[in-house]
Amino acid sequence: MDAEARRALAARALERSRADATEAIVTSDHRALSRFTHEFIHQNVDVANVALRIRAIVGGRTGVASTNATDDAAIDAVVQRAIEIAAFAPPAAEPPALAAYADVRAPAAAYVDSTAEATPEDRARVAAAIFDQAEANGCWCSGYVTTAVAGVTIATTAGAGASFDGTECGANVKMTAGNSTGFAERYATDAHVLDGAALGLRAAQKARASADPVAVDPGEWTVILEPAAFGELVMFLAGHFSAQSYDEGSSFLSGRLGETVMDAGVTIRDDYAHELHPDAPFDWEGTPKQRVALIERGVARTVVTDSAWARKLDRANTGHGLPAPNANGPYPLDLVVEPGTATFDELIASTERGLLVTRLWYVRIVDQRQTILTGMTRDGTFLIENGKLTRGVRNLRFNQSLVDALGSCTFANVQQRTGGYSYALVAPAVKFDRFTFASSTDY
Amino acid sequence: MEFSDAAERALDAALAQGAVYADVRFERTRTERIEVRNGDVADLRDARSEGFGLRALADGAWGFAACARFDDASLDATAARAVATARAGAMASRRRIGTIPLEAFVDRYVTPLERDPAGVPLGERVALLLDAERALHSAPTVAVGRAWLDLWRTDKEFYSSIGSRIAQTIYQSGGAISALAVGDGDAQVRNWPGDRGLYFGGGWEVLELAELRENAARIGEEAHQLLSAPQCPSGTLDVILGSSQMSLQIHESCGHAAELDRVMGWEANFSGTSFLDPAERGRLRYGSPIVTIEIDNTMPRGFATVGYDDEGTKSVRSDVIRNGILVGFESSRDTAQQIGAASTACMRAESWDAVPIIRMCNLNLLPGDVPFEHLFDDVREGVYMEANRSWSIDDRRLNFQFGTQIGWEIKHGKRGRMLKNPTYGGVTPVFWNSCDAIADAASWFEWGTPNCGKGEPMQTGRTTQAAAPARFRNVSVGVGYGR
Repeated sequence: MDAEARRALAARALERSRADATEAIVTSDHRALSRFTHEFIHQNVDVANVALRIRAIVGGRTGVASTNATDDAAIDAVVQRAIEIAAFAPPAAEPPALAAYADVRAPAAAYVDSTAEATPEDRARVAAAIFDQAEANGCWCSGYVTTAVAGVTIATTAGAGASFDGTECGANVKMTAGNSTGFAERYATDAHVLDGAALGLRAAQKARASADPVAVDPGEWTVILEPAAFGELVMFLAGHFSAQSYDEGSSFLSGRLGETVMDAGVTIRDDYAHELHPDAPFDWEGTPKQRVALIERGVARTVVTDSAWARKLDRANTGHGLPAPNANGPYPLDLVVEPGTATFDELIASTERGLLVTRLWYVRIVDQRQTILTGMTRDGTFLIENGKLTRGVRNLRFNQSLVDALGSCTFANVQQRTGGYSYALVAPAVKFDRFTFASSTDY
Repeated sequence: MEFSDAAERALDAALAQGAVYADVRFERTRTERIEVRNGDVADLRDARSEGFGLRALADGAWGFAACARFDDASLDATAARAVATARAGAMASRRRIGTIPLEAFVDRYVTPLERDPAGVPLGERVALLLDAERALHSAPTVAVGRAWLDLWRTDKEFYSSIGSRIAQTIYQSGGAISALAVGDGDAQVRNWPGDRGLYFGGGWEVLELAELRENAARIGEEAHQLLSAPQCPSGTLDVILGSSQMSLQIHESCGHAAELDRVMGWEANFSGTSFLDPAERGRLRYGSPIVTIEIDNTMPRGFATVGYDDEGTKSVRSDVIRNGILVGFESSRDTAQQIGAASTACMRAESWDAVPIIRMCNLNLLPGDVPFEHLFDDVREGVYMEANRSWSIDDRRLNFQFGTQIGWEIKHGKRGRMLKNPTYGGVTPVFWNSCDAIADAASWFEWGTPNCGKGEPMQTGRTTQAAAPARFRNVSVGVGYGR
């Protein structure tokens, strides 16, 4: 369903509502994914859907209902359900304000026709190139190739009518070579950039280079995290940048805006228009997104808001709302960590003794306020000695305060889009001067 | 059955396109979520979704396509997409898969329930949460009170090209309360029941059993007390885990390890593999002889209890670990066939637009013979831990580190003062072999988990791990903080 059809569907819903104010969110998506293991595709899916979500406000009370049926009877029913639900909600102290019209522009290259039109054969060709590399390098591979097109339209009786269409594609490859593994990934909006042979070769080279990994002692190490690994950590900062967690005291930033909280080389922004991850220019309330500096040269600058939290804290609405009302509060969905000036090779060369980590796994919060995280290395962990990668090491478990680690770090000069299905962000490789490992494995 | 004509058309279209087998699953789901947060109804929504997903086996590869429209053109086009997708996969693949079932079922299954949530007025549903959340603020440091409930009804019809016609209506319900206390640069959380709520197969009776109102003031007070509680010590100590933490322990270190798709590398790039090998069935000592873990997708109140899985296999009860020895796996038809076993009916899809994958369903540790209070008797120095707060395990399901919301010191057989930030870690078979006592059936409980993530695209599964509290010797405690 294109933007025009979504707008028409939203308009039909708003016309039918007798609520004081109504918001209609129409989403459409067509997603396909070919997942493989041992050089065959074992899951191959192609899914299309359209959904309509109605937020009705009656006498200051809010009700929400949704459906994926789009005939007139279904629209009437979902609008009526939202109004009925509103009758049972306690009235808000101040009625929610719906977004009004705003002139928003999608960032460049957010939508690429050829990605939207990709076929299962296109995905199979990328997978086949990866399989070739597995066979040529004596490995077996697992991963996926995906293409997707998704659109959203948000219309309100206050005049909002924002639409966005975007494409997504990606390939993710793990190669296994005997007792070692390697990993490579690529995400973009243009499927032409998915080079199965290059990704397969990179993952295979990592797997082979880390063969017969040796054990190293846990403890404090100098560590270089590639973007895929660093991104796994950065996503755990996202909730700390929310006005809700800031105000309620569960964020490490609570009471610390304006203070230096990290190394002077650290700048973290939320930027929907970054060229590596162009996203919708408005949030899930239809409010234009602001491009905000959250950490600037190590100083905590701001937190993100939605309409409710902007009003509550008397701050500007930065346009970071999730579908309202929302118990999770505002959230930055487009985090960008700014690059440094050193090349990746220079980060390695400047390390006397350290570890290079390709990827992390099962990162979880141990302590929210202290930002202590735990997790495992995976798919290519290497020893650095005298400025050179020397050999693979067995995987390790870390326990580390992320904010403490970001207190002494250096970034590489190239950013990468990372995250796959769980999240999306842009980050460079990072060198942490101190990073603590608690235990190791026998592989 | 409502969709029999549509199913016949879609399956015929798939076979006409060249599929050698096809099945189609029509679903209508209704999901209600209500959440109260600091006195506000922060979420109150009723979501309905309907559509169908069709699997086609063609040229030795599977294809899956899904659509939300039921007209003839959509049925035909979706069947054609599934077959075309299968064929494209076959073009690239270096081997063939796909097991055609031999047995067709014609049946109907409905979750037993005592009180249909649809018959509970919405005002009553909201009032329960408003009352419970209000009571959480029993101490001045409680900065965030939350109370929520989730109600699901799924009507599904499964048809296959060999003649299966299975209709199921699945009811699942649950809810919880949570208090976050903040003070002196610290934040401590307490949830009830268990770590993320009470979730069963069933209706409104689940919310009544959860006793949210009755426990709210105590939970708020415990969160407050944790702020000033001493830190859990670090060292090698004995540990007693409460039943909800045992549920998490089973889930992460047994349930996922025994999923046969992981064992075979089908999840290797994301959820990981497993340290288990089918060749070790009947030989590998997974745990001590008192450890027996079984799949039971027929159990009353099981969050994952159904009549049939989403590839049309009838639910079974089957051992995974018997008296400490690995004996079986959670499996699908394709994976089971590769190890010469029968499917354990663990293929589930989170919705009509998701392809079925192997999921941990109901996987339970059988109770032991020790009354709960006697687990403490001969513990000289240890920690009793309850209610998970943090969980992480490596991608072969060996090296784990878990933390709980609350703990209590154990000294010379007696439970003593409250401890904050309890954590422990270990290696799966070493840990399970250190289990020397499991409490009896009086404290065995079916803990449902509503948010088990797996697969790409990611799917959220609902699962139960029933367990009683258990004792483990010489465990590494206090990891992440002191060591």
